Amino acid sequence: MKNVPALQIENLRKTYPGGLVALDDISLEIEAGKFFGLLGPNGAGKTTLINSVVSLARPDSGRIEVFGRDARAEFREARRMIGVSPQEVNLDKFLTVEETMLYHAGYYGVPRKKARERADELLERFGLTAKRKARTNTLSGGMKRRVLFARALMHYPRLLFLDEPTAGVDVELRYSLWEYIRKLNREGLTILLTTHYLEEAEELCEEVALISGGRIAAQDTIEGLKRSHGAASLEEVYMKVIHHDNNG
Amino acid sequence: MIITDRHFQTLLKREVLRFTRVWTQTIIPPLLTSLLYVVVFGIALGGRVKEIHGVPYLQYILPGIATMSLITGSYMNTSSSVFDAKRERYIDEVLISPMSDLQIALAYTLGGALRGVIVGVGIFVLGMPFAGERVAHPLLLLLIWAVVAFAFSALGVIVGVVASRIDHVTFMTNVVIQPLAFLGGVFYSVDMLPPAIRVATLFDPIFHTVDAARYATLEISDINPYPTLGIIVLFAVLAFSGACWAINRGPNLRY
Repeated sequence: MKNVPALQIENLRKTYPGGLVALDDISLEIEAGKFFGLLGPNGAGKTTLINSVVSLARPDSGRIEVFGRDARAEFREARRMIGVSPQEVNLDKFLTVEETMLYHAGYYGVPRKKARERADELLERFGLTAKRKARTNTLSGGMKRRVLFARALMHYPRLLFLDEPTAGVDVELRYSLWEYIRKLNREGLTILLTTHYLEEAEELCEEVALISGGRIAAQDTIEGLKRSHGAASLEEVYMKVIHHDNNG
Repeated sequence: MIITDRHFQTLLKREVLRFTRVWTQTIIPPLLTSLLYVVVFGIALGGRVKEIHGVPYLQYILPGIATMSLITGSYMNTSSSVFDAKRERYIDEVLISPMSDLQIALAYTLGGALRGVIVGVGIFVLGMPFAGERVAHPLLLLLIWAVVAFAFSALGVIVGVVASRIDHVTFMTNVVIQPLAFLGGVFYSVDMLPPAIRVATLFDPIFHTVDAARYATLEISDINPYPTLGIIVLFAVLAFSGACWAINRGPNLRY
């Protein structure tokens, strides 16, 4: 199954009630093992795209496959392979940090013993061991981010969605998160990162798609994008593409 | 399998954990309120009402009081649990998991139903010594309570999903569920009402549940208990279908 892409999206369209076209016939393929960046201004459709894959958004039309599994018809298999670290903190306030990990594993059907080992490993890795018995609503913003991150990894996903993972995170945590994500990617995890920190994308991503007005405005490796747009940095590419798109 | 899946069992366990963790808000207040009903209506006023259908007043009202608390407990559990989860978006974690919508609706509904049954049975057992209550058909009573709790818990799921503000949830509790419960023949027999109000009472679903519970306990009822059972089961089926719809298609959940 070497050539099955981690994510394949074909002609995805999503219109919100009121007529706003959030996704305008988008097609996208992410190779297994890639570190892929999805960039674009607020409201460009990045989160709608991610949410469509996990059925939080219901696209009007189009097809989505996750490692060859249809996201609708085979939703159990497809969703089991996806981990999501969402943009907005959405931790269950009735649970402690440790319970957050274990219940999440349970929702994904991970056996109890394996879940316990995984929770220990991830709590340790994210410096959360001392907080394991704390209720999530008592944590600081940075701690909550770490819990979201660890939670997304609890069920051993093969495809990880990081939706603005470092929004509101201090520099130290940002660098340590980057380092860890890179390691996960080297170990074979496919990552889809959405961000509007261009520096973050340039630092981490092998391939990037720029999304604007619900369409893919450009897609290539970062070097390829720079070359084709005659730009010195990703920021310049972004300004050219998005600016052109918004005025063109 | 729907209910043997670890996914489903984990969500059900989470629902139980939630109401047991805040037991001072979810278990104790309804027990206390209902005991106050027993004291005020049963012991203080009961001296004046004496008997209904040949049964001492407190004995007559106890099954209804327990059923009323069971209903509000079930309904309030799911409506507030689902509403909170939606408002703070942690329901997304469940919605994007490999669980089916049916499993999600069922786990929430059973969690709420369990709280309702705990509260209802708790009140009944605590009130029994005061009332000198005996139960004619204990299994039937438990079955009725289980179905009723399930139905109103499912209704709570619908309200939790559809409500866009917390006052919608409390509005339903205070302006719909509570009045229907009070007017559902908990404290009196519908035979004591003027004909027009008696007919209106037949459209109150809580009346049917109270009447059925009273039949199972005391073998007295205002209307034939067996069609009533059918109505309760039908109501549960409709409410649960609504809960499945809410999880699948409800507003502000998936978009």
